[in-house]
Amino acid sequence: RSLLPGRRRLRQPAGEVFTMSGQRKCPDCGSSEIVEDAHYAQNQLVCADCGFILTEGLLTTTFQDEEHLQEVTYSRSTGQNEQLSRCKQRGIKRVQDLCKVLYLPAVFEETALAYFQRAIEHPSFHLVSLEKKEILVGCCVFVTCRQHNWPLTMGTICSLLYADKELFASVYLCVLKELELDVPALSLTDLVKTHLNSFKLFQSSANIPAKFAEDKGKMVARTIQIVELASETWLVTGRHPIPIVTAAAYLAWQSLQPVGRLTCTFPRFCKLAGTDLPPPAHLRLKELNDILLRMASQLAWLRVLNVDKKTVVKHIGDLLQHRHFLLKSSFSSGDSEDQSATAAGNGPESSPRAAGCSARAEGCHPGGKQKCSSVQRPLLPPCLINPRKRLRTAALSPSDQAITGDEAISDSEIEQYLRSQEEMQEFSKAQAWH
Amino acid sequence: MDADSDVALDILITNVVCVFRTRCHLNLRKIALEGANVIYKRDVGKVLMKLRKPRITATIWSSGKVICTGATSEEEAKFGARRLARTLQKLGFQVIFTDFKVVNVLAVCNMPFEIRLPEFTKNNRPHASYEPELHPAVCYRIKPLRATLQIFSTGSITVTGPNVKAVASAVEQIYPFVFESRKQIL
Repeated sequence: RSLLPGRRRLRQPAGEVFTMSGQRKCPDCGSSEIVEDAHYAQNQLVCADCGFILTEGLLTTTFQDEEHLQEVTYSRSTGQNEQLSRCKQRGIKRVQDLCKVLYLPAVFEETALAYFQRAIEHPSFHLVSLEKKEILVGCCVFVTCRQHNWPLTMGTICSLLYADKELFASVYLCVLKELELDVPALSLTDLVKTHLNSFKLFQSSANIPAKFAEDKGKMVARTIQIVELASETWLVTGRHPIPIVTAAAYLAWQSLQPVGRLTCTFPRFCKLAGTDLPPPAHLRLKELNDILLRMASQLAWLRVLNVDKKTVVKHIGDLLQHRHFLLKSSFSSGDSEDQSATAAGNGPESSPRAAGCSARAEGCHPGGKQKCSSVQRPLLPPCLINPRKRLRTAALSPSDQAITGDEAISDSEIEQYLRSQEEMQEFSKAQAWH
Repeated sequence: MDADSDVALDILITNVVCVFRTRCHLNLRKIALEGANVIYKRDVGKVLMKLRKPRITATIWSSGKVICTGATSEEEAKFGARRLARTLQKLGFQVIFTDFKVVNVLAVCNMPFEIRLPEFTKNNRPHASYEPELHPAVCYRIKPLRATLQIFSTGSITVTGPNVKAVASAVEQIYPFVFESRKQIL
């Protein structure tokens, strides 16, 4: 621009002169060197020789021009900030941050924002403490994920927000009620895949010797099978899902290469994998081992070996392969003792339908330490197998049942609830010492 | 087992909560001094009084409102409430026993079969809500009866409702749904 001579304008607008070819000519000096140039942000047609301005663009744009401008989203312009309160702005920002941290797709963010904006209008969420508003953000994201079958647990959200779990639970239930949302159940298979993604066992590194590293696909597949086994045997219903997944992952990992890994304890496994060991996981592991042992007692070639809870891991592969059959034969249905399922006399592939009782009697190996399969445990939730002693209030006796509520009340009956004069004096003396 | 066949289920009422008003101001300090079996919670402003027979705990407020808990039937609740009002009368207050109302009944019922909770929830949305991370049971609400049932996988069901009739009809209503999702033989 500095190459052009200084610009100047005529006070009155001059008519434009066009040459025969349609090109513009400077009205002042007559040259046809017309350049389009911008003076700051204003487009101008300037003569290159004398600096005469032929036409200049407008500084302001019309509505029609603006339609063709590149759009800036409302959230990034200043318009939104002026219309929303600070509380809503902060909440919206937090929802967006949370979605980014969790690497959620853009659709989730929009849905979560919509829920949040609906919820925050509600008096039960608008007039509450900041802690609850923060938790509301987490609830909206959590509900969105669950509705799209994205396996996110409450534990994860609570740890991200440093939130109290009980408070989260109450806000979550409130959100479901106020916004009338329907949330599908958490899918365990997806949860297994996501949870195992965070395990650091799939490549050998400084802490992880080569024999501990495992192929991800195999481990995920086997863990899913063990979790399905657990859900068929009442170990999953009503319990927290993560401890079960952790225990199943440990068993799967051990069983894929039992030789080097049997000596590795559960806490050590969790430390290697870089994951927490939740307290109930030990109990789940024990329960899983118990189920596996019972199943093992039904496989002929395992009855010969003394399988106990330490060595049953080696045979998990076989047990899982034939789990449907083994579950049927190792647990009674509660209705009848002799099942049509056979005790495996031959290999499992060719299990002929023999009479239940006689085959079972043969199955009791004299040298084996296993329990004879004649005592079949019914397939029940663990709390029914080991019931806690509970003091049950006795049912109403016949005399009590005749109470109508309107009987006469005698004075003597009431006297027992009143203090006598001496008692009152003693009491006030005792109180005076406070 | 057919769902339509007559199955006798024992519904055990474990708690009945009722309220009544004495229509007079009560001096809590006097009750705490002259009444036996009382606990005075000065910070909250109430007195807890326990009766032996029937086994009832009453919360007494100075405004004259009394809440009684611990009874095992509606009649027993009224029985205990009247005894309480009589005790307050004997302490010297001008008590009139009015506005007696049973507010909440809690009952427990055992089904003779186990229940598959995830399946039950799937078949009974939106009334049923199951969050294993929060609570091991399914929470089922029956809006017209204003009753809430907590259904456990062992077959045990805890019902809360405004009166004993609502609780009984809630159990009747839930039985076919729960029967559908019972544990089948593998």
